[in-house]
Amino acid sequence: MLRKFYQEHRSTVNKFDAVLLNNPVLERGLVIAPVIVAANSLKNALSLGVAFAVITFFTIAISYFIPKGIPYTIRVIGNAIIASLLFIPSTMLVERMLPGSTQNLGIYLPLLVTNSLIIQKSESRFHKMKYPSMLLQLLCNTAGFFLVVTVVGSIREILGNGSIFGVSIEGFPFKAPIFLLPCMGFMLVGFFAAGVKKLVFFLNSKPKERRRRRKFWTEPADETTVDVTGGATDE
Amino acid sequence: MNNFWMDVKNIAMTSGQIALLAIFAQNIIFTRALGISASLFVVRKKYNIGIFGLIMAVITTLSSCLIYFFRRPINNLPYAVYFRPFFYVLIVGVVYVAVLLICSKFLKKYIDKIRPMIHLAAFNGAVLGALLLNATATMDFWGYLAFGIGTGVGFILASYLIALGFERLNSDKIPRVFRGFPITLIYIGILSLAFHGLIGHELSM
Repeated sequence: MLRKFYQEHRSTVNKFDAVLLNNPVLERGLVIAPVIVAANSLKNALSLGVAFAVITFFTIAISYFIPKGIPYTIRVIGNAIIASLLFIPSTMLVERMLPGSTQNLGIYLPLLVTNSLIIQKSESRFHKMKYPSMLLQLLCNTAGFFLVVTVVGSIREILGNGSIFGVSIEGFPFKAPIFLLPCMGFMLVGFFAAGVKKLVFFLNSKPKERRRRRKFWTEPADETTVDVTGGATDE
Repeated sequence: MNNFWMDVKNIAMTSGQIALLAIFAQNIIFTRALGISASLFVVRKKYNIGIFGLIMAVITTLSSCLIYFFRRPINNLPYAVYFRPFFYVLIVGVVYVAVLLICSKFLKKYIDKIRPMIHLAAFNGAVLGALLLNATATMDFWGYLAFGIGTGVGFILASYLIALGFERLNSDKIPRVFRGFPITLIYIGILSLAFHGLIGHELSM
């Protein structure tokens, strides 16, 4: 049903694909460092999400008006300067919303100033769009980052610390502090990226193949066609 | 004269230790995930990792040395935490333009090839991250210089390891959903775990 809906409304859904299917973190590997290292609790994740949204959205929206006649190098420096100026109110906002979180995030909060969406994608992608559609894409990208960072932060806090938003979960039997380390951040994001890829393959696959497989399970005559790769042989 | 050589020896020893720390124990990619987007981009686009890393090392080292001279006025500012990224971006911007101009002047033959690498190497997480890590460090000038060089060399080594894996992990033997980016992240995660075993404790953020 999900696949049918996607295939019928593909052009509309693809306008919002940066939220999940073309997510900046999981699909394109952008702005990945804060998610891997600093998003080890929900509080940190929310701080990163808010700061990223404010810095990235307003920087790209403002830098759209930097004249295209100016050399690329100067435009890129201009983008970074705008982002570093927007870092000041965004950090104040985050500190007001979640006291103490800016201290916990260390260098990963100021690092958002030179994130890949601002430095690379603003010139190569966003500034080539019309302003309203660029704003929509920006909203979807920031929502996509927010989604990933909060999900990863929550899971790592639950599994690594046995708590959520600093409140310990009573009776939760599992606690592995390794989930708080960057190595598990890499692996968790890797598994999520695979999950999104699987979803993309599923949504783009033909319904006919699925019917054929269902029929196969009811008549297990030929074992050589068993698909154990999760669709890898469809290619 | 003897004292002079003793000083040189001490500086070389301390700087060497800082550089080795930056290369291995505090590897910018495996322990802090800084510059991972740039590294994956370089690997995917099949850029020359050595040249890219060299450019990044030059930009990090020069910015690091410049920051050494400006760190006291910046750190003494009220609300320095808020303003630090602005000043660091300005410094990296100056170095970025200088490197671009110098390369255009003296490497005319290769400039078309290396220009996109300079654009990518100047503003990324690895450069700004390395500078921010040293924001309140109590090192001398040589320490800043060694840390800049060590960061660049560490980036080259880490990117080389990622590139080695990336080729193999993109093969048909990997399940389709894991092929490419997801399995590369898991591979980096395993390497990161090994580096964590080497250090034995979590690094401060």
